[in-house]
Amino acid sequence: MDTGTSWLVDIFSYEFMQRAMLTGALLALFSGIISVFIVLRRVSFLGSGISHAAFGGVSIGFLLGVNPLITALIYSILVAFGIERISTKGKLAEDTAIGVFFSSSMAVGIVLVGLSSSYNVDLFGYLFGSILAITGEDARIAAWVTIFLSVVILLIMKELHFITFNEELAFVSGIKVRLIKSVFLLAMAIAIVVGIKLVGIILISALLVIPGASAQLLTRRFYRMVVASCLIALFSAVSGVIISYRFNLAPGGTIVLVLSLIFFISFFFKTNR
Amino acid sequence: MNAVETMDLNVTLNGREVLEDINLSLEAGKFMGIVGPNGSGKTTLLKAIIGIIRPASGSVKIFGMLPMEAIHGGIFGYLPQSQKVEVNFPARALDVVLMGTYARLGMFRWPSKKETARAGDILSMMGMAGLENQLFGNLSGGQQQRVSIARALINNPRLLILDEPSTGIDVVGQEDFYHLLKGLQKKMNLTIIMVSHDVGAVTSYVDEIACLNKVLHYHGSPLGALNDTVIKNLYGKSIDIMMHTDQCEKCERLKSGHRH
Repeated sequence: MDTGTSWLVDIFSYEFMQRAMLTGALLALFSGIISVFIVLRRVSFLGSGISHAAFGGVSIGFLLGVNPLITALIYSILVAFGIERISTKGKLAEDTAIGVFFSSSMAVGIVLVGLSSSYNVDLFGYLFGSILAITGEDARIAAWVTIFLSVVILLIMKELHFITFNEELAFVSGIKVRLIKSVFLLAMAIAIVVGIKLVGIILISALLVIPGASAQLLTRRFYRMVVASCLIALFSAVSGVIISYRFNLAPGGTIVLVLSLIFFISFFFKTNR
Repeated sequence: MNAVETMDLNVTLNGREVLEDINLSLEAGKFMGIVGPNGSGKTTLLKAIIGIIRPASGSVKIFGMLPMEAIHGGIFGYLPQSQKVEVNFPARALDVVLMGTYARLGMFRWPSKKETARAGDILSMMGMAGLENQLFGNLSGGQQQRVSIARALINNPRLLILDEPSTGIDVVGQEDFYHLLKGLQKKMNLTIIMVSHDVGAVTSYVDEIACLNKVLHYHGSPLGALNDTVIKNLYGKSIDIMMHTDQCEKCERLKSGHRH
């Protein structure tokens, strides 16, 4: 066999690499869909808020000895709806509500991690991503959740597009605006928590913003934007994992660097067209 | 049957009474203009009629139904005051018109070729042929209004509600737009309610006028609204009203100017 490419064949022969690739691909596709709406609805700060809040959820899992992915999911969903409720009631501006939940949840995380008697290496996995070390259980949770939610979002995509265009118009024309928005918020919170496995809490914003932002630079059609966003996220995740394995780099950071490179190429392409 | 009927409608926003004891009725097929100064509650009244704002007391009936029932019955065609759509928001004129069909189609179903063809036809009827694939955010104010009307019409609404539709359109464009509405009223047997701050323009086109400033100062034929007492009550002082007629010299001059 050609030694130049044998490492590439190797990659796919390891079970942990197969698992990382498959889970990474599913997470990326899901983030690609969600990213379009995060960019168009301009809610990327809500995304960072939820991802940092997830740290609080992860630390609760460590303390209780439960799978941190599960506690982070529950905690982040609660925080997402808490922020939405406070800001729609008009008592606080949304970015203020996000700022408060964001920092208080991080504080919960820091205090609880300090309380856990054993120093936990896994913590770094949550901060910086640990797709290569993903367990079979986490991979299964992530896979089922992302497949189910991708289908749900695809089915309500035209309504989401309308609501994003103009919420009031959508409401008056008879679209169930509150239901659709809640489903999207739920999907977004879940995308963030499972996406943490891929690139970590610190870099998750990149996965939520860059695919959609790059796709918007490349096309003016909505459905093409969704497809482009998914392909960009998918390509970055798969090539990021391969490159990080080949050159022994951190996978989370590598994936985001590939994403950033695609963004700048798209930006250059757009401005020079 | 009355298309719209409000009974003792009171609306409070953030503790401030915005509308007080509004009793308004509009026969089906009529064109009504709502005028009043800034902050007089015109938009709030529209929003109470379409059920976006809940009244503190009193009731609203749309063809005998509650606003929510009317929404789900596809009764309303609505054009909000301003549509801040970003220039690069991925929605073409055709996409925006098709959005009007989404609620009727229901979740999990997409517009068919038939609906797409109909959307194209309505856009042509609005004088927008050839612009179907332009991004909505890239169109001029007047073109966006035409696309929005097309979006409202694709669902065959019975009641068209417009909030300051002439904002951002030049004088000639406005005249054309009012003519268009008048034509639609007759052609599709539409009931129309239009909010405007331009008393003169509105009185030339509508069948009925409602003068609003927290309370309803006048409701009836447009000419009666030009009474000095009504205007004084409405605006707090006597003002000159610029009448618009079908034969508008200034408009003719502007139009011929455009052609050259």
